[in-house]
Amino acid sequence: MVEQITMAFINGILLGGVLALLAFGLNLIFGVVKIIHMAYGQFVMLGFYLIYSFHATMGVPLPAAMALGVLSMAILGIFTQLLLIRPLLKAPRLNQLLALASLIIVVENVAMMIWGADYRGIPLALPIIQVGEVFIRSSYLMAFVGAIVVLGLLYVFLNRTYLGLAIRAVAQDLEMAQGMGINPATVYYVTLAAGGALTGIVAAFFVPIYTVHPHFGSSFTIMAFVIVVLGGMGNLLGGFISAFIIGVATSITAVVYSTEVADILALVVFVLVMLIRPQGLLGVRA
Amino acid sequence: MLAVDSVDVFYGEFRALEQVTIRVERQQTVIVVGPNGAGKSTLLRGICGLLKAREGTVHFRDQRIDTLPAHTVAELGIALVPEGGRVFPYLSVEDNLKIGSYIKRARKHAQESFNTIYELFPILAQRRRQMAGSLSGGERQMLAIARSLMSKPDLILLDEPSLGLAPLVVDLVFEFIKKMKEEGYAILLVEQNANKALQVADYAYLLESGKLVFEGNREQFDRNPYIKTAYLGL
Repeated sequence: MVEQITMAFINGILLGGVLALLAFGLNLIFGVVKIIHMAYGQFVMLGFYLIYSFHATMGVPLPAAMALGVLSMAILGIFTQLLLIRPLLKAPRLNQLLALASLIIVVENVAMMIWGADYRGIPLALPIIQVGEVFIRSSYLMAFVGAIVVLGLLYVFLNRTYLGLAIRAVAQDLEMAQGMGINPATVYYVTLAAGGALTGIVAAFFVPIYTVHPHFGSSFTIMAFVIVVLGGMGNLLGGFISAFIIGVATSITAVVYSTEVADILALVVFVLVMLIRPQGLLGVRA
Repeated sequence: MLAVDSVDVFYGEFRALEQVTIRVERQQTVIVVGPNGAGKSTLLRGICGLLKAREGTVHFRDQRIDTLPAHTVAELGIALVPEGGRVFPYLSVEDNLKIGSYIKRARKHAQESFNTIYELFPILAQRRRQMAGSLSGGERQMLAIARSLMSKPDLILLDEPSLGLAPLVVDLVFEFIKKMKEEGYAILLVEQNANKALQVADYAYLLESGKLVFEGNREQFDRNPYIKTAYLGL
């Protein structure tokens, strides 16, 4: 049992890294554009299918298929901004939420039309690493390392470049950012492109771990949303920390009880945060 | 350099500015004084494109700017120092300054601008890694002024720089405004503190309830009996 829980803890940390990356995109979009991208997990699903099609159907080598998947999702992010979010920027919150939520139905049904309801996956035989009594799947480890590297790059981008600074400035004070000569439209497109690319990257990390089906995304939308709320909406550091909390908590619960209970746990955490500390762990009360 | 002609600005149905006409010439410091709610901030926001004029025009160096978005106006060389030292609270002091040099014309001079600014404001150099939100009111005002200088502006719009500051800090802020004036920047300063503002003014306007009610140079303001009693407390 001790080994099992140790393993679950390690898996939770590894999964937490990928969840942190997933939540980062959702958080960034919320922080900058002030919109909740309800179909974020569904975009991961779409990215997964695209990688699958590029590789399994069109015969593109897997690394190139993954790169193409990331690129496609970035472009899709730009189109989401152009066709859906931009026209609704000044609309009431509820309208924005409903429009993005309806995107879930659109994306899931498009996936159903194109790829059908069957589970699709790319079989990869990746080794399992043994450390003493503990077994670690190398697919998890690669996903974790990859996610941390991408998060590091994002950190450098947001802190060291003019464009990154502009994104943070718009997130904090749109009007003043405009006064500094920052064109918000550019920042919004870059943010949605980055958010889209992140769904593609997360999908690429999921390829060796999961198989995909049209409803694959919904649990990740919820997971990402729970993490973002737990950390404090728009707070990138808070999201990073809570991704690991959620990752470990669900992973250990899945071992001790079952994966179903683990899924419930995430939502229970969400409800508790809403009741006790609605601004999140590191959030500032508005 | 800056020509505001018969500008009307509305908030919904409320007319915040009515037929306002002002001029700022090269190297000139122009002030607009008036009570709280007279439309002073509205005027500055109208000039820098954050609010749109319903009537009238704004020209900057003979180019019409009231039709342009705020970020384009900033690129032309107009910098706003917003009310209350409104800086980006979760960016470091250094990043706040860096974002000041966002526009193309300022970026290539960013390094030398940093050196100049840190020399001029040693306190900002000391606090460069600190979050701007943790600064005192006076320091935040300094940072907002310094940030505007980072953009290498031709015209600086200052919105109530003395608001909410202790008298000693107000003196310090006006020392910097004097320095900027000596450096040759064109300045448009709106202030409730008419006494202080008049000391740096080449030309002044009095704004009340959205309308300009008096204009003139410092002597003319000092001699006007109404302004003397209502604004200068003499």
